[in-house]
Amino acid sequence: MALNILVVDDSSTVRAVIRKTLKLAEIPVGQLYEAANGKEALDILADNWIDLIFADINMPVMGGVEMIDKMSEDGLLKSVPVVIVSTEGSKTRMEQLKQKGVSAYLRKPFTPELLKNVVDDILGVQDGS
Amino acid sequence: MEAENNRDIAKSVFIDVLEKLAFMFGDAVPKDEIPEPSSDCTEAYMTFKGPRSGTLGIVVPTDVCSEIAANVLGMDIDDEIVIGHAEDALKEVLNVICGNLLTALEGDDPIFDLTVPLIKNISVPEWNSILESADSIAFILDESPVLMYLRSND
Repeated sequence: MALNILVVDDSSTVRAVIRKTLKLAEIPVGQLYEAANGKEALDILADNWIDLIFADINMPVMGGVEMIDKMSEDGLLKSVPVVIVSTEGSKTRMEQLKQKGVSAYLRKPFTPELLKNVVDDILGVQDGS
Repeated sequence: MEAENNRDIAKSVFIDVLEKLAFMFGDAVPKDEIPEPSSDCTEAYMTFKGPRSGTLGIVVPTDVCSEIAANVLGMDIDDEIVIGHAEDALKEVLNVICGNLLTALEGDDPIFDLTVPLIKNISVPEWNSILESADSIAFILDESPVLMYLRSND
């Protein structure tokens, strides 16, 4: 099944790298949406069905944490899996994000294999639920 | 002793990130062995706040930005898309170095607040000023000179 994926990052380079890595990892992508911050992402989520989100933490206008908080207030959006893609390596931060409902944490730099493992884990969890 | 150890960690993180993210190979070199850039340079810098606070920056000859972007994106250096990503790619390289360096220096418990990286163009004399400062490290990255600095506010 092809996944509708939303990539949220203020860096157009990072969005391009994730796009390329999804291809290299052979993740079946249906529609690929891009947003430069959390606010743009929420606008896309309001109008489109999204299966999986890759999001940065530090972004101007609205960061990843605030975006997740807003999603958790919405009955439909709170079930959309979010993978945080960040350079930060703090386990404390990762734990805080997991408590907010984040599905996985992908630390930069990452390989296509690592990205595939993360997506497979999330899909596996969903299949079993 | 600790400062020297921190410099070694910074060198190692720089080399590791450039290799993994941009498939480029770097070596730390003594400052008197680094060639002067033949053109103006681009500096990317960002600040961090936490158990340790300061500014991390990278300075490269401006044409190296496109080379980094081409490698990060896996595209040809002359591609228009690459030219459009040149400065953004340098900012992303800095961002990844910063996160990995802070974890290497302080472990994985503390949370740091990182600012969004900024870019400015600098002249060769400004390059030399950064080169001469005690907090900078010189590298040769795929035959190009590169500087990195870590300025502490503490």
